[in-house]
Amino acid sequence: MTFSVLLQSIISGMLVGGVYALIGIGLTIIFGVMRVINFAHGDIMMVGMYLTFFLFTLLGIDPFVSVLITMPLMFLFGALMQKVFINRVLSALPQNQILLTIGLGLIMSNSAMLAFTSDYKILTTSYSSSSYSLGGISISQPLLISFLITCAITVGLYWFLMRTDTGQAIRATAQDREAAQLMGINVKWMSILSFGIGSAMAGTAGALIAPTYYIFPQVGSAFTLKAFVITVLGGMGSIIGATLGGIIIGLVESVSAVTISSEWKDVVVFAIFLLVLLIKPSGLMGKSRL
Amino acid sequence: MKSIHPLTSIRGASAVQIMFGIVIIAALFAFPQFVESPYALHMMILFFLSTLMGSSWNIIGGYTGQYSVGHAAYFGTGAYTTMILLTTKEIPPWQGMWIGMFAAVIVALIVGSICFRLRGPYFVLASIAVAEIVRITALNLTDLTKGAEGILVTDIPPFKIGELLITDFASKVPYYYIALVLALAIILVTWLVQHSKLGYYFQAIREDQDAAHSLGINLTIWKNTPLVISAVFTSLAGSFYAIFIKFIDPTTVLPLDLSVQIVLISIIGGIGTIWGPVVGSLVLVPLSEALRSNVIAQWLINSGMVDAESGTGVFLKEHLAHAHVLIYGILVVVVILFMPEGVMGYVKKLAAKKKGGEA
Amino acid sequence: MIRKIAASALVMALALPGISQAARVKIGFVNSITGPEAPIGENLTNGVTLALEDLKKKGIEVDLIKEDDTGKPEKSLAAFEKLATRDNVAGVVGPYTSACSSAVASQADKYKVPLLIPAAAKEEITRKGYKYVFRLNAPADVYSSVLMDAVQTIDKPKTIAFIYESTDFGTSTVKTAKEYAKKLGIQEVADEKYQKGAPDFRSTLTKIKSKNPDLVFMVSYVVDAITLMRQSKEIGLSPKAFLGGGAGFTTAQFLAQKEISNMVMSSTQWTDDVSWPGAADFAKRYTAKFKKEPTYHAACAYEAMVIMAETASKNGGDRDKTRNGLKAGHWNGVMGEVKFADYAGFTNQNNHQMLVQQVQNGKYETVFPPKFATKKALYPFKWK
Repeated sequence: MTFSVLLQSIISGMLVGGVYALIGIGLTIIFGVMRVINFAHGDIMMVGMYLTFFLFTLLGIDPFVSVLITMPLMFLFGALMQKVFINRVLSALPQNQILLTIGLGLIMSNSAMLAFTSDYKILTTSYSSSSYSLGGISISQPLLISFLITCAITVGLYWFLMRTDTGQAIRATAQDREAAQLMGINVKWMSILSFGIGSAMAGTAGALIAPTYYIFPQVGSAFTLKAFVITVLGGMGSIIGATLGGIIIGLVESVSAVTISSEWKDVVVFAIFLLVLLIKPSGLMGKSRL
Repeated sequence: MKSIHPLTSIRGASAVQIMFGIVIIAALFAFPQFVESPYALHMMILFFLSTLMGSSWNIIGGYTGQYSVGHAAYFGTGAYTTMILLTTKEIPPWQGMWIGMFAAVIVALIVGSICFRLRGPYFVLASIAVAEIVRITALNLTDLTKGAEGILVTDIPPFKIGELLITDFASKVPYYYIALVLALAIILVTWLVQHSKLGYYFQAIREDQDAAHSLGINLTIWKNTPLVISAVFTSLAGSFYAIFIKFIDPTTVLPLDLSVQIVLISIIGGIGTIWGPVVGSLVLVPLSEALRSNVIAQWLINSGMVDAESGTGVFLKEHLAHAHVLIYGILVVVVILFMPEGVMGYVKKLAAKKKGGEA
Repeated sequence: MIRKIAASALVMALALPGISQAARVKIGFVNSITGPEAPIGENLTNGVTLALEDLKKKGIEVDLIKEDDTGKPEKSLAAFEKLATRDNVAGVVGPYTSACSSAVASQADKYKVPLLIPAAAKEEITRKGYKYVFRLNAPADVYSSVLMDAVQTIDKPKTIAFIYESTDFGTSTVKTAKEYAKKLGIQEVADEKYQKGAPDFRSTLTKIKSKNPDLVFMVSYVVDAITLMRQSKEIGLSPKAFLGGGAGFTTAQFLAQKEISNMVMSSTQWTDDVSWPGAADFAKRYTAKFKKEPTYHAACAYEAMVIMAETASKNGGDRDKTRNGLKAGHWNGVMGEVKFADYAGFTNQNNHQMLVQQVQNGKYETVFPPKFATKKALYPFKWK
């Protein structure tokens, strides 16, 4: 294997990892604040993908521009879901929380199937298979754009959580729910906010991956699993951790596909996941909650 | 009002209740003598199988509180061991299944050594990861498992003890009895667990691991024991599925979907109870079949409530079948939100309320 | 009111000739209507819907009992048993997936119900000597051999790389492809199996590119095919030919991706421009009715339903006679000549002539075998 093959796989792995990171960030915020493992995360992403698809095909809005519409809509969607369903099980047994989100995921994916049939939808933009060439290494144009958008969103979100009052309230809730409540923080509102933000992130990830991937009702499940791995790897509740986790998983997949084989790459990913759980259960950035 | 302890209520089962149980078991054994329809037998077999899977999970998930979402790994291990031994070494399934159980125990101990260091959501995620590794391994070890092609057998060798032919597996009836016996066995095991020291240890771990530990309960032993029991019976379910369907591949016996489904059976019925998984299967198996085969739409039309040619009729006929997983999802959400202790818990609560009202 | 009477009179006038020669027959249809296989299952459902309309015109009324197997063998088995024992159908068309067909096939013999499998590719299904199991489509081995035969008529390629999904269809097609390549003296330089639905193939494709193969053989379902080709273009993989083993490379969606689909060759069970009787007409009516182009699955399901219903109605719905009718019969319709024969270890297998099609100027053109070809194959491959 030549050096250029390795370099190519490192670069494309990192770019794909950027999108993974965004999915992971959404999940990590939800978990951080509510301690609920959201099994419907990939399905929320799927909703974002359909939204992007219809904005593009019906209104002709470019997927990368439509993020501006998708993000607030998905925020509302998530906030509503939290208010109506998740809120009721916050103090329930963890397995009931998991099952509720599984049920919600089934409802979302199967409603999508009834509404849009199970056909694969492909979003073709003028740049879907364009790339920049850099000394024999090709860099996918849409992936690069989505990577940059991911970076911008991550920085923005980090700023929001660190520097604004609302952000600090969310972090306080994540650290200790009861203490936060005693301090006069409206914990319920913070939960709604964070589920909204988490969903907005998942929806945005859907929008960003749509031009290079495809859309169908069951698309979410594979990404849910990936999001779990990323979140645990980075440390549940840590945004920087999820960002790192996403990029690491993207890299591991890509590099192990060329160095080991593409059929075993997922085993490598899960093995790393288990190792992290055993050696450092709090994840790479476990200490800094959000 | 006196709080009813599950222990006393079962131990103190009245003669009427015991008689009732015996009658039901007798009826189940007599069932194939009166009903010949292979379709009805098939449904009963799926019901027993579902009970077996749900109850097996219940021992580790319900009684011990370790919510494994990776039980497909044991199911698949049983199924694959039995089928591989049958096709390559011509070892008949009733011998192969023991080896399958043994293999499942090994897998369980490996899973236990990794996952039991973790708690809560981390345990759930680790159990998923291990099951996925098993699935991908089965997919890639093509020399052993035939990978994605799966293993197909045409004939199951006849079951003989000495020269005496027990069955040749030509009809559904032998499968019916095997599944029934397995289901009764797991119910008996669950009963034994609940009424022995084991059950006491398991439930102590479920309520509070640290407290249990400080009471001198060895966590390693008493978390692995229920896992092994659970894995053994889940692997039996897998072996049974394999010879019943005669075809297995990684997407049918090892997917994450299956793990989730196994958990659903108990949760919908009510976890940590003997009858929860039975009730769960009673709800889920007929429901999923009714939705799959579209009998609900057919029934609405036949009963004259909806005209077959009308807009609604056509819509129901075309779409209700497509909606069956959707309805499944709605059911899960409804159960979690309104009957958090499952159907069993809900019924008990209702009964308690009624009693309270009368008094 | 008058309009209503006129309408009902019209209905009666249309319906009457049908009734006079109606031969009602009950047929079961097992398909993956929901679940992960649903996107392709839908094509089969549509094909059957169109078949029922055409049968009605011929005076054959079909009581169709549609069963969903959600892609799971145990559900497929339940569905088949229900059809065989409760609904008393004359015959069954389906199931779609190989896994479900494998499970159901042995039961067909047990209940002596004729089963006609329209599109499942697993070879073993018709290699077990089942009397009541028939298959219309060509099994997995033909998907690869027909493609390589097509290339052999133009060039003598030296090396081949395989990239395929880790499913039954992917692995068994490539297994036979490898054997065939060896026979032709083509050297295998890469063997890459991937998990269906992966979003990033760039590193794997780069690895293949570094081996510089003459042929790149891919087996993928619907959309992975597009992802694979997009990323091949991105990283500049440019062999002499891209060969697609059916499925994803034969869909309208793939065709619509003009930038990347041009000149890709793929094997298929059916094309809309093949000279088989009624094929072009079928494609036209299908597109008009369902607002999308038919895949070969749709044509297979259509023809399977026509064959089953005609045979069953001719034999008064008797299962044994229908089975014998299928065995003895001979058809020539949208799938070309159909005859269920015993050969090369197969039983009741239609020795179907597979086709090779190539995307040329935004259209699928049949390029092989010469007998059915509408255009000459373009070779070697160039990116648009």
